[in-house]
Amino acid sequence: MARRETGLVPTTNTTMWRTEAITTATIAGYGRHLLDVASATPEHLLATIDVALPHLDLRVRVPEGTLADAVRTAFVPWGDKASKPSRRAEITVLDPTVGDTPDPLGWGSAPYVPHEISRSLSQVGLQGSLFHDLRFWQFHDLATGQGVQLMAGPDSFPPWEPGAPLRAFLHWEYAAQGRRMTHAGTLGREGRGVLLAGAGGSGKSGTVLAGLLHGLSSVGDDYVLVDLSENRVCAFPIFTTLKQDERGARRLHLDRLLGSRELNWQGKVQFRTSDIEADIARDGLSIGAILLPKVGADATSVHVASRSEAMLGLAPSAVYQMPGERESGFRFFSRLVSMLPAYRLELGPDPEEIAAVLWQFMDELAS
Amino acid sequence: MNNLNSAYAVAGSDVAFEVFDGDVIVLDMGNGKYYSFSNGGSAVWVALVAGVAPSDIANHSAHGEAVPGFVKQLHDLGLIEARPSLLPVAADSDQIAALAAANEAPDLRIFDDMADLFLADPIHDVEEPQGWPVVKQA
Repeated sequence: MARRETGLVPTTNTTMWRTEAITTATIAGYGRHLLDVASATPEHLLATIDVALPHLDLRVRVPEGTLADAVRTAFVPWGDKASKPSRRAEITVLDPTVGDTPDPLGWGSAPYVPHEISRSLSQVGLQGSLFHDLRFWQFHDLATGQGVQLMAGPDSFPPWEPGAPLRAFLHWEYAAQGRRMTHAGTLGREGRGVLLAGAGGSGKSGTVLAGLLHGLSSVGDDYVLVDLSENRVCAFPIFTTLKQDERGARRLHLDRLLGSRELNWQGKVQFRTSDIEADIARDGLSIGAILLPKVGADATSVHVASRSEAMLGLAPSAVYQMPGERESGFRFFSRLVSMLPAYRLELGPDPEEIAAVLWQFMDELAS
Repeated sequence: MNNLNSAYAVAGSDVAFEVFDGDVIVLDMGNGKYYSFSNGGSAVWVALVAGVAPSDIANHSAHGEAVPGFVKQLHDLGLIEARPSLLPVAADSDQIAALAAANEAPDLRIFDDMADLFLADPIHDVEEPQGWPVVKQA
């Protein structure tokens, strides 16, 4: 694994990286240092897991444990293996129990402004982020496709990591391709479908589950890959994870399928698509509309919405929830919204009725 | 006091906007706030950022009396800035038609659900027990 030389990177001093807090001025050098540590870590200390994703061949080098298990189960294997050439990326997950990996350093007293740090890192060809509470660092070099995730211990990761592992790296890789990890749910049939957009609590996941339990397919209920190339909107599955709050789980009778489960960090029931034998459209869905769900109606109905409503439903959380600069996300989602009709989906309480309305809507969309 | 005869432009690289079927959505990346406008407000914005002076916009608008206050509001929010060094341009036919046809006075809505998280320093602005992304209350 060759280190990328830019001439803009501060001189790396290993001693310094063992003692000093990181600042905006030194974060790029620290990122390069951790990438060097990753490349020097012997193969026999790590499991190597290859994951074929849409337009991305991902190799993950990770110590055996919770995260390795998550990497093996959290991704949907790409259905269309033959199509276009994929980019390759290799992410190395490290903690100080692995070889000569150093303890992660902390941040100093200067303000940590994520979008300014992203700008600074991008000037030297890097992307990066820090989850401060756990000194959980992620750095990625887009030119080489090499990334490193450094944690303070084998299980020192944010609570959402096992459900959507390495999400930031996927975001950086796909954004560089002009594609986008998108905070949205999906439903479809026979290869065509809809995006469900809205803030947390709007009913995305419950709608996806209602559809899946009544014969529709999906490529995800929370994060999906969206591709606008070839002048059409396609959504592809990335993660196998599905979630539902307790009330929705009761309404959907998920306990009959899943039994009793501990709730996740959000107080939600979390499970895999295979747990409910969900029909995942592995080749992706051709998206024909954006739906903006809203809970609280007596019966389910669909109404025309403006594109600006769709933008306000789709973009704020999607732009915010991915680390890095924000304007390209705003432009991407603007283009997405301009390519599709938008509808408000007023949600009634009956999952079967919700699914029936969506079946009919998708029939009309296809005709 | 805003100069109603000056040209204006979008204020800096942190402000991005898009127009959807005549509806304008603005994102201020500096603070994470989104703005949407009434159809009268969208018509004013489109002409304003094209370099049409507010006085000219007011002359064409169905709600001309409200234009100066709306321009001041946009300025005070940091979304536009005066460019006195530039010569204002004349409104084109599409802009004139949109200004005349607007059935709503110039107005805006602010969507700041994400703004706290956008602005927050995830290291120094969080409640210690919960950590990021729980933002410390002022």
